Amino acid sequence: MQYLIMCRSLTYAQRAAALLEGKGISAVVVKAPQGLSSSGCGYAVSLYRRFGEAVAILRANKLLNGKLFKRGDGGEYTEVQSRDIS
Amino acid sequence: MIYLDNAATTMIKPESVGRAMLTAMNSAASPGRGGHRPAMRAAEIVFHCRENAAELFNVPEPERIVFTMNATHALNIAIRSLAHAGSRVLVSGYEHNSVTRPLAQLGARVDIASSRLFDREEILKAFAKKISGADLVICTHVSNVFGFILPVYEIAELCRRHKVPLIVDASQSAGILDVDYLTLGADFIAMPGHKSLFGPQGTGLLICGRAGEPLLCGGSGSDSIPQVMPDYLPDRMEAGTHNVPGIAGLSAGISYVRGLGLQRIFAHEQELLGVMLSGLEGCRGIELFAGPEGSQSGVLSFRCIGPDCEDLAQGLADRGICVRGGLHCAPFAHRSAGTLGTGTVRASFSPFTDAAGVRKAAAAIRELLHSTV
Repeated sequence: MQYLIMCRSLTYAQRAAALLEGKGISAVVVKAPQGLSSSGCGYAVSLYRRFGEAVAILRANKLLNGKLFKRGDGGEYTEVQSRDIS
Repeated sequence: MIYLDNAATTMIKPESVGRAMLTAMNSAASPGRGGHRPAMRAAEIVFHCRENAAELFNVPEPERIVFTMNATHALNIAIRSLAHAGSRVLVSGYEHNSVTRPLAQLGARVDIASSRLFDREEILKAFAKKISGADLVICTHVSNVFGFILPVYEIAELCRRHKVPLIVDASQSAGILDVDYLTLGADFIAMPGHKSLFGPQGTGLLICGRAGEPLLCGGSGSDSIPQVMPDYLPDRMEAGTHNVPGIAGLSAGISYVRGLGLQRIFAHEQELLGVMLSGLEGCRGIELFAGPEGSQSGVLSFRCIGPDCEDLAQGLADRGICVRGGLHCAPFAHRSAGTLGTGTVRASFSPFTDAAGVRKAAAAIRELLHSTV
């Protein structure tokens, strides 16, 4: 399952991805799908594993400032609420 | 050629700088635009430079590092963010036109904290005497004309006590002296990339303690729908495509500085300053502007009784020795030192300057003076 962590800017996405990589969580910076952003172009961190852990790390480092999504098998994105992350 | 104009531009760079620029030119596109490999490569180069600079200047968040064209560009952003028509702006008597001209254009009221050259105590007292009621303080860390190292950390402390915002011009100190963002606590710190950070011309940095007012508006690759610049750093201050090859070179230059270490660089330049002073000691017809230990960086100004400073600089240029004559775009500094009418000749060093070259330059100055005085 692919997860996207939306970021307020490319630089924040890069900081977030670097932090997660440093913690051994594979994460890459991608352009955010237009349909997920209300204000135009943006960037996100994409990862496939250890999503809950990644969210917790970013929150602890004040780098969690965007919405969270998961991508279904059909390619559709569903918002994930922080409270639903185990 | 003996290159002694490093206070203008460090023309001799580490080899890694040119290599990094060429690689970027051939492999990187626009950062923050596409999601393809060359665009992401550009984004990585830019981010790496932000992190590299953040390490050197003790900035905890790399987004506070904003890329500019040069220190003048950075200072204009900072000044226009904090000064307005009628603002009372307290500056040292050693500021460059890149500070004083934007203030004049804005219609700010410029008040000068005056001091004698190389008198660190006197200038601190002058700031303390005048800071009350100031809307903004702007202070250069090192005079570009005389190498006078101003007590900028003490001035920053004074600003904090009086709750006056501070802009530091680190054009002549970044890459030589410790420029510590957290300790200074300045609102903005401006610097060029092309001097002692060894980047190419056309690069500069603005360290932002706050989100200022953008000088340019346009595409930022983020939040594209709103017709205002984003409210977060660095996007707010960086409109348009970055100078990616330049930033790649700047990053290589910063890595070089970090590898060598500031203490070693400063010590080398102090040694060369000593070599030049020894070489000119007792020379008739010359006035050297040298300060007590610890008050001067690797920049030495001098003037001559007789030949015009530009003639002497040209005479040295004809011998393959590169120095700069004139007012160095800093009439305030010359007025403070009493050299406004004559200007000075300035020699400035870098880690790529060696003692043999400095000795030859000193000998050439002696020869030129003896042939004209």
